[in-house]
Amino acid sequence: MTDTAGIPAETVRTAPVPPEESALVITGLSLWYGGYQAIHDVSLTVPRNQVTALIGASGSGKSTLLRSINRMNDLVEGVRVEGSVTYDGVELYGPDVDPVEVRRRIGMVFQKPNPFPKSIYENVAFGPRLMGFRGDMDALVERALREAALWDEVEDKLRSSGLGLSGGQQQRLCIARALASDPSVILMDEPTSALDPIATDRIERLIDDLKRDYTVLIVTHNMQQAGRVSDRTAFMHLGRLVEEGPTDLIFTNPKHELTERYVSGRFG
Amino acid sequence: MLDLGGVEARRRRRRVRAFEAAVFVPVLLALALLATLFFDVITDSFSWQVIAPHNSGRSFAFAEGFAFHRTWENVVRLELLAQGRTPEEVDALLADPEARRLFAARNRVELMPWVDGLPLRWLVTSSRDDHVADLPLFEGVGRRRELLASAEPGQVVLLNAWLDWSFFLKNASRSPAMAGLLPALVGSLMLIALVILLAVPLGVGTAVYLEEYAGDTPFSRLVELNLSNLAGVPSVVYGILGLSVFVRLLGLGPVILAGALTLTLLVVPVVVVAAREAIRSVPDSLRQAAYGLGATRSQVVFRVVLPGAVSGITTGVILAVARALGETAPLLVIGAAAFVPRPPAGPLSPFTAIPIQVYNWVSENDVEFTHVASAAIVVLLLVLGVLYSLAFYLRRRYESRW
Amino acid sequence: MRALLLACAALSVLTTFGVVAALVGETAAFFADPAVTFGEFFTSTRWTPLFADKSFGILPLLSGTFLVTAIALAVGVPLGLASAVYLSEFAPPGRRRRVTGLLELLAGVPTVVLGYFALLFVTPLLQRVIPGLNLFNALSAGLVMGFMILPTVSSISTDAMQAVPSSLRQAAYGLGATKVQLIFRVVLPAALSGIVASVVLAMSRAVGETMIVSLAAGQRPLFTFDARETIATMTSFIVQAATGDQPAGSLASRSLYAVAATLFAITLLLNLASQLVVRRYRERYE
Repeated sequence: MTDTAGIPAETVRTAPVPPEESALVITGLSLWYGGYQAIHDVSLTVPRNQVTALIGASGSGKSTLLRSINRMNDLVEGVRVEGSVTYDGVELYGPDVDPVEVRRRIGMVFQKPNPFPKSIYENVAFGPRLMGFRGDMDALVERALREAALWDEVEDKLRSSGLGLSGGQQQRLCIARALASDPSVILMDEPTSALDPIATDRIERLIDDLKRDYTVLIVTHNMQQAGRVSDRTAFMHLGRLVEEGPTDLIFTNPKHELTERYVSGRFG
Repeated sequence: MLDLGGVEARRRRRRVRAFEAAVFVPVLLALALLATLFFDVITDSFSWQVIAPHNSGRSFAFAEGFAFHRTWENVVRLELLAQGRTPEEVDALLADPEARRLFAARNRVELMPWVDGLPLRWLVTSSRDDHVADLPLFEGVGRRRELLASAEPGQVVLLNAWLDWSFFLKNASRSPAMAGLLPALVGSLMLIALVILLAVPLGVGTAVYLEEYAGDTPFSRLVELNLSNLAGVPSVVYGILGLSVFVRLLGLGPVILAGALTLTLLVVPVVVVAAREAIRSVPDSLRQAAYGLGATRSQVVFRVVLPGAVSGITTGVILAVARALGETAPLLVIGAAAFVPRPPAGPLSPFTAIPIQVYNWVSENDVEFTHVASAAIVVLLLVLGVLYSLAFYLRRRYESRW
Repeated sequence: MRALLLACAALSVLTTFGVVAALVGETAAFFADPAVTFGEFFTSTRWTPLFADKSFGILPLLSGTFLVTAIALAVGVPLGLASAVYLSEFAPPGRRRRVTGLLELLAGVPTVVLGYFALLFVTPLLQRVIPGLNLFNALSAGLVMGFMILPTVSSISTDAMQAVPSSLRQAAYGLGATKVQLIFRVVLPAALSGIVASVVLAMSRAVGETMIVSLAAGQRPLFTFDARETIATMTSFIVQAATGDQPAGSLASRSLYAVAATLFAITLLLNLASQLVVRRYRERYE
């Protein structure tokens, strides 16, 4: 499915998110890697304190879109971005904005768990230390580990290496590490694709808890996961946002033909 | 409202740039040292001299009319005539082989860049010249006129290029003006030839054994352990080994063969490392194909693997040769002679090598011998430069062959 | 064929055996001589084996070696490490290749040439700014030796830093680290074992270096820590004794072996330590 025939000119939206409920507003975002355009004119409002899933086939641009939000794409040579991403009313791509500041306020969890080769404590403390945190680090570490549902398993071995944990525990450690900086938005790029089903389940339940205090945007190629975990879903195809809306409606009653074919497993 | 830009951000960016500049400084320092070294050595191979000549002190033009070619004989003839001898005496002297030899031993015919204000002059210098003054290149350039004016009658002011063709043909000498690199050149060449002859089979053989024949046996692990330890042994200690085993135990004495054997032991680990890497880079699929066609292990190694590893092995050998060329300490310990009057005759002769000569000349603590040492270093660095360029070229050319 | 190749490989084992044998025999004979005692060897500060009034305390040679090595490390390690940081984290690939090549050239300069440079260029320069600097002194030799070991520290440390996986760098950037924070808080700690190994290796090379010290530092055994003084190192003594006319088997000649044995032991320990550091603290990123 590589021809763009069939992609709607305008994104099909159901029950659009009102502005007062938004955490992130993406407007007309386009991105080029050199001469190749990876994202075409995407507009999406991400609601506060909900889990929004980005789904689509490989190469649909969902990870690229995710990384555009915390400006991780800036680290790639030859990248060009047009359009706007506003966070709490502030334009993240504004001329004076320092990407480092953006990344300190928006957390990211990666596909393969990547704890630092340091102790569990030092992993969690890393973000706050970057910003010169001078308060009670012990309390902060405990809070983050509790929020990531990892505290009970590691409270007696905080000084041992983070690499000594199982895969699922490492990923929860990475989540704790992201939470420690007290972001309000958390970006997750296929966080369970490298984990076994039991670990996956624990993290999905964790995500459900997190939305109480955080806004979560999760990229997943696993449709069942999107169905289990998210409140809203956005479907991307070949760099364009095809359709978005409440998750149950997208999966039970998709409005666009492409969406229907993807969620019923006919491609991807 | 969040503040995502502004003062703190700019300060941060400046700090990163400043840090980048700071860590670039050592790179610049290292390159500056290299450049300074080259520059210093080259300029020190020239010197301004004031001499009270034993000969006539007359210099002769590089060319006269269209007669560019000045042979040794021509210049000597002109010099002897300038000394006041008659043409018949000169012919007689030049016809007598013994007299020629004696003259050649005590005098040097050299083309100097600058003599008494005239560029490119032939001058016959003698081992009995009195050297009055010696000045570095740049200092002398500024004081040219002053030197010419203050030179006493009979004294000659000249710019000596210590590195010239005659430098390669002269033997060692007690007098710096007569000293040349010939014995050391021949010595180094013979050493290197022997080292290549010995180290290549030994090194490549070891590498082939470790990569293609040996499994993970205690013996092969012992070999690997030894190789990595030997790489860290100081070169002096290799000299001690050579002294004990080759010079004394085997009774060879301080000769070229002993030096070559010692250097071989020093250099084999270098060859082994390079050869192993080269052998490993040959894709396994080629070996499988050969085995599949019914080749024996030896055939696979010699007909498939080694030909594929040749470029990597060559690079390693070149680097090993460069290393051996510059080694001084082990040869000194073995007993490379302090003063070797003429080139070594064969592998069982006492010998000297280019770095040994440099060491000796620098140790003489004589400013003129320093110039001779500089000339020798220029030669050494040029040779090494060619070798390294070759090695780099080979490495890049065959880097991504597969 | 296999046997032939095995014999080639056995050569390396034979070489080590030969080195040890060569050293042990004469060293044992040295200590067996009534004029020499262990106590004096390791504690006396007078080393005059070549004089009529013989004295065999190795401390002056050790202090000389230590002094020059310390200066070399003080110069070479920071500069080498900084170069590695630049090459690994800042330099674009083309420049990295060129600079690495030039550093390899620096490493390829024969040490006798570096000794020449130290004696004839660096020392006169330093004499203008440092009062009381002898013609032969430890400082010039140490400084030049620092540049000799710079490429060693740089290349091994660069490899260690490049080996830090990009997933860790992404994690750090994702948390909002600046490049400098990334280098100091993630890359350097992760590459530490490789960096330490490079330093130990550089130290081993500095200890075993001969020509720079022979030419520029002098050959006068003196127990001192003043870098302006003329000193002797273990290596410069070995060369001095070997190029002198000591009859084989004499006590003076044997002292050469004793010093060489000490030198060999020290460098062997350093090399083993370096390998141990790498093996034990090698970062596992998976």
